[in-house]
Amino acid sequence: MKLIFSFLLRNLLTQNIAYAHCDIPCGIYDPHGAQLAAHTIIRMTELLTEVKKESELKAEHDISRLTHVKESQSNLLEEELTTLENDYFKAEHYKEYPKLGENFSNANKLGAKVRQNIDIDAAEELLEEVMQIAEIFYKTKGVEFVRVKSVYPTQRELVIQK
Amino acid sequence: MLLLSKFKISGHSMEPQIKNGNTVLVSGIIYLFKSPKKGDVIAFKNLDGKILIKRITKKENGKYFMGGDNRKDSLDSNKFGMISKDKILGKVIYTLPAGRQEF
Repeated sequence: MKLIFSFLLRNLLTQNIAYAHCDIPCGIYDPHGAQLAAHTIIRMTELLTEVKKESELKAEHDISRLTHVKESQSNLLEEELTTLENDYFKAEHYKEYPKLGENFSNANKLGAKVRQNIDIDAAEELLEEVMQIAEIFYKTKGVEFVRVKSVYPTQRELVIQK
Repeated sequence: MLLLSKFKISGHSMEPQIKNGNTVLVSGIIYLFKSPKKGDVIAFKNLDGKILIKRITKKENGKYFMGGDNRKDSLDSNKFGMISKDKILGKVIYTLPAGRQEF
């Protein structure tokens, strides 16, 4: 029976969207949280490569803490992106900005990669995808935006409203 | 009322049973023979024509009060009012297991 349902789900029926919303429709969305999380992931990745090995116990302790923060910020980033992807952006946005779907898909894949590895390149690519999503967000709002150098130790950029 | 249709879920209000991004199969055939009852997870149209997935939490005077399973993150009938049977499209009869949502 399960196989029949799976077959129907996969092949026969046209798919529509049904909303299990959810959040009180307050209309308050912001890509800033996702960018902050992406910066934190970069920072944790950098610090993980800089852990001093003088004391094994201290090194293990530091690696645990840094990995924990990298993991929790990846969860947060995933949550922020899910909210933007499903709650804020509508079908017309995906039509107007054809790269948007690809940005989310890439960000999701990179989100997994930065969890699994200590990979600064992946973390930087993740921030770039998130910044592109932020730029599209501001375009849909009709406001001007700019890429600025952040004041964080990551020294990387950030997209903000002008 | 729907014969059979599939929907991709957007939102977290029915977690943990139905997760954001899951695909569900909805059918209204069962409601040709019996009335929707408390506890059923159904698809229905709200006032602005949007299709929502919620659980029937009570039935009063032929109308249905809808709520999400994830109480922290759900709109319910306090917000959008009780719904009548003609707004119900069908019952969720199958959810594709998580991790197998890709088509």
